[in-house]
Amino acid sequence: MKTNMKSGALLKWAVVAAVVILLPLVLPNSYFIRVLDLVGVYILLSTGSNILTGFAGQLSMGQAAFYGVGAYTTGLIGMYLGWGFWQTLPCAILVACIFGLVLAIPALRLKGGYLTLLTIGFGEIFRLVMNNWVSFTRGPSGITGIKTVSILGFELATKTQWYYFIFAIATLGLIYQRILMQSRVGRAFIAIREDDQAAELTGIDITRYKIMAFITSAVYSAVAGVLYAHLTGYISPDSFTANESNFILWAAIIGGLGTYLGPVVGGFVMVVFPEALRALGSLRLVIFGVILMLVIIYYPKGMVPFFQQVCARIRTGFPNGPSKQEQKGGD
Amino acid sequence: MALLKLDHISKTFGGLNAVSDFSMEIQQGQVCALIGPNGAGKTTVFNMITGVYQLSGGSISFDGKDLKGVAPHDIVKLGIARTYQNIRLFKKATALENVMTGFHCRTKANMFSIVFQRKKTLEEDARIRAESERILDYLGMLDKKDEQAGSLPYGHQRLLEIARALATQPKLLLLDEPAAGMNSDEKKELIAIIQKIRKDFDLTVLLVEHDMELVMNISEFITVLNYGARIAHGTPSEVQKNELVIEAYLGKGKGK
Repeated sequence: MKTNMKSGALLKWAVVAAVVILLPLVLPNSYFIRVLDLVGVYILLSTGSNILTGFAGQLSMGQAAFYGVGAYTTGLIGMYLGWGFWQTLPCAILVACIFGLVLAIPALRLKGGYLTLLTIGFGEIFRLVMNNWVSFTRGPSGITGIKTVSILGFELATKTQWYYFIFAIATLGLIYQRILMQSRVGRAFIAIREDDQAAELTGIDITRYKIMAFITSAVYSAVAGVLYAHLTGYISPDSFTANESNFILWAAIIGGLGTYLGPVVGGFVMVVFPEALRALGSLRLVIFGVILMLVIIYYPKGMVPFFQQVCARIRTGFPNGPSKQEQKGGD
Repeated sequence: MALLKLDHISKTFGGLNAVSDFSMEIQQGQVCALIGPNGAGKTTVFNMITGVYQLSGGSISFDGKDLKGVAPHDIVKLGIARTYQNIRLFKKATALENVMTGFHCRTKANMFSIVFQRKKTLEEDARIRAESERILDYLGMLDKKDEQAGSLPYGHQRLLEIARALATQPKLLLLDEPAAGMNSDEKKELIAIIQKIRKDFDLTVLLVEHDMELVMNISEFITVLNYGARIAHGTPSEVQKNELVIEAYLGKGKGK
């Protein structure tokens, strides 16, 4: 039984891996692949949001600041020191840890709506500093000419190469999220989300774990920022607005807060839908907004729990159809 | 030496004396009760013992250690666990996960070790999973382990709080109105459970309770609190006869 289930899960993931690997080969042109590259970046961003808001229960609407921290650390280091990805990545992670801590300290005192206001303020402060500190960041004109990533002398040149690179990192991010949330640390995050005082009196140092949740989320977002900066070669404060923060949070919500695969679905929806609706012209954002609202009204827990429900219903709804046993045997 | 010693503790909120100059000692292995009319300050005393409130005066020592300035989560680590008057489980986590969370302060895995010491982490997790299942089994609710805590029936939620508290491996268990909302059959069961866990887990128990039948049945010593001050202390039969206690609960009569 157990080995059957294991091999079944293995088969499922093998199919998923095959789809992910083959997808760019069947797409007609590099525009689609570029959209997928951004989906990968968004998966990382919404995973960060999912850990902080979905699992640890700290509602943050300033995630674009952490995203920007990654991108600007990359851009500035590239501009002043000429360093590449393998140097900018650890630097960005370090800077993200510091910014995560900077936001976490005041955030420890706040809950609910006040915490949300704080995170919005944090995001705006970051954007305004990047915008107005022209002598250091070049302000609104942004930073151009950020080098692409080179791996052992091999430079990522095409969007397809980038796709594999970004999805490899996003996959690692998702695997770590799962390992983390199924560990002692993850249980502490969930306890804090459910009832932080009861968590403290169950022996959890809630101050420490809230800080850890902020920092983890900041690191995920910053890695996304580093990838984005190297991918596009250009960054400006316009990419890290409050609207961007909203999109990141929406991605986590639409996918399903507190689910392992929510960020994948959410990242996909939030990047692909606005592109797919482009044909509708100026109405597209209105329609996209309506779609999001309908999803959240009818499936407030998000898409992943909804899919799981549907799958469960199919499985139990046709007890005489292609049965569970047969499927298991087939696996 | 007393396991828990409250030495002339007091707590004021603004101008209100919630607890004033209250002292009490609990010896290792005892079951004691703290009773008193509504608003007497019983839960405030619990919150002072567990470090939720800072003391306005006096001191608390546990197992020979002064608890002044010790953070609540470190107090749990020293061996004091509690349950709540209004159930406070981690509702969306499963029953088993709730108990496993209780082992937090007895385990070590961190954000890095879960990757770099994978084998050790998995071993630790398997161990606390087995121990948590054993606790649930012991309390007769192993079949509920995968259900969401918030969807369990009330009686099971109360038990699960006790299970989570036991998982922290306490020396002293504080029960805040464990029988609230229970019918008389459930209360009898609860009494049996408290006596059983006390023996099997080598516990000292302090409970706050309104239900006199339960209190008189289970406690070796009873302390009575009224308006934040101690008005009586003794064995159940001593307390039952105490005139101040009768007066606090029933009001002052015209005299026999």
